[in-house]
Amino acid sequence: MEQVAGDVGSFQVKVRKKARYVNENLCTGCGACAEKCPTMVVDVFNAGLGNRKAIYKYFPQGIPSVFTIDATACRQLGQGKKCGVCAKVCQAGAIDYEQKDTTVELDVGAVVLATGYEVFDPSVIPEYGYDRIANVVTALEFERLLSASGPTAGHLDRPSELALEREIEEAQKELKKLQRQVSQLEEKHGKPSSEIVRQFQSGGLGESEDLRKWALLAQDLSALDGRFQSMTHRKASASAARKLAFIQCVGSRDFRFNRFCSSYCCMHSVKEAMIAHEHDNGVSSSIFCMDLRAVGRGFEEYKLRGGKQANIRYVRGRVAEITEDEAQNPVIWYESTVSRQVVHETFDLVVLATACVPSAGTSDLARLLRLELDENGFFKTDPLAPLNTSRPGVFVCGCAQGPMDIPESVAQASSAAARAAEIVAPARQAVG
Amino acid sequence: MVSNDVLVIGGGIAGIQAALDLAEMGIQVHMVERLPSIGGKMAQLDKTFPTNDCAI
Repeated sequence: MEQVAGDVGSFQVKVRKKARYVNENLCTGCGACAEKCPTMVVDVFNAGLGNRKAIYKYFPQGIPSVFTIDATACRQLGQGKKCGVCAKVCQAGAIDYEQKDTTVELDVGAVVLATGYEVFDPSVIPEYGYDRIANVVTALEFERLLSASGPTAGHLDRPSELALEREIEEAQKELKKLQRQVSQLEEKHGKPSSEIVRQFQSGGLGESEDLRKWALLAQDLSALDGRFQSMTHRKASASAARKLAFIQCVGSRDFRFNRFCSSYCCMHSVKEAMIAHEHDNGVSSSIFCMDLRAVGRGFEEYKLRGGKQANIRYVRGRVAEITEDEAQNPVIWYESTVSRQVVHETFDLVVLATACVPSAGTSDLARLLRLELDENGFFKTDPLAPLNTSRPGVFVCGCAQGPMDIPESVAQASSAAARAAEIVAPARQAVG
Repeated sequence: MVSNDVLVIGGGIAGIQAALDLAEMGIQVHMVERLPSIGGKMAQLDKTFPTNDCAI
């Protein structure tokens, strides 16, 4: 959205249509381009836990089923290198590096805002160590770990293990390269590397620069091999996460960040613990909360069912700190309000139930549409007309007006649609 | 002159629901989404409470 003029009944809106660099009418969504694309990019859809290519579909079932080039990561578009691989493999001829952003002008009678929310960034809470401790994740990251279409195909592998896997892959590549170089030298000189290294270490190698380089290479190779062995050993002994902890109200109901309750996170954590238990019956979960807010139809029963059938323990207490032991296990320190003691407990994985905060563009959009925001930065609504913004003809639904769960978002969306229809309906009658 | 069309900003679960409802009433809807695909946060979820149904 770039510009808005007019008023209720007739808003003139200018929208910038971003270039995909792929012709939407020609692309069949076959994916040959992404298969051959040489550039790997961190996958935002998988909450940064996996990788995708520079030409991509946001997620496999994404609609429209059309690929898009990430212009900043693309070798051809962003880095000015010669590439063009995707254009070569595309049988539909849909790739268009020359595509530009275009401006679409619309005349609309009403506007429905459904701009949603963003997940609170927990790295601003130093005591929870989200940045430092690999096995502390947000609820949305955990959701991707649980998903069959996620980066682990639904296995509860810990992020520390995923990082180890990547390290092993890189070490393997480097190892192959060094091995090739060393074996070339061995062939050239007809001597084993061990002899050269022995001579080098005893100082009897002489002045030859070539031999010195060989000795250093061979030493690097054996060091890397040692590291590689220990990493693969560590990976072999690693097991999936089975003892889980969920920490509630991370960034919400906290006077340092947001005072409001994010409303859906209690049930979200119960659900994630239940699904984890469904994947592997050996999973046990502890949910650390001030109070568990199961407000909604069937929610209380769901919470109790989790406790009885899914090995969930509800712990009343606010977690003070998370530390890490040598095996990269997070250790939770908290005050048990039952025994009135400060206790600590080790877990395989900690999930932070992060707050629901206004999405980044909310204030810009509010300025553009001349709308007021509430004290928390969401679009301000009238308590007696909960879909009305401060401007007639502009309605707001879902998390854009405050934290809520999916059924409430859907109900509000239908209401907002009805309110918008009220405005445009007379025009339709006049025309028809 | 009142326009017949409605603009929906955001293609998450709320935006999609609002757009579908309006379309069912025969109203022309324009949807604006920041990302290459619609679906929003809900598409990132695996299952939903309290029924454990799939999100997509």
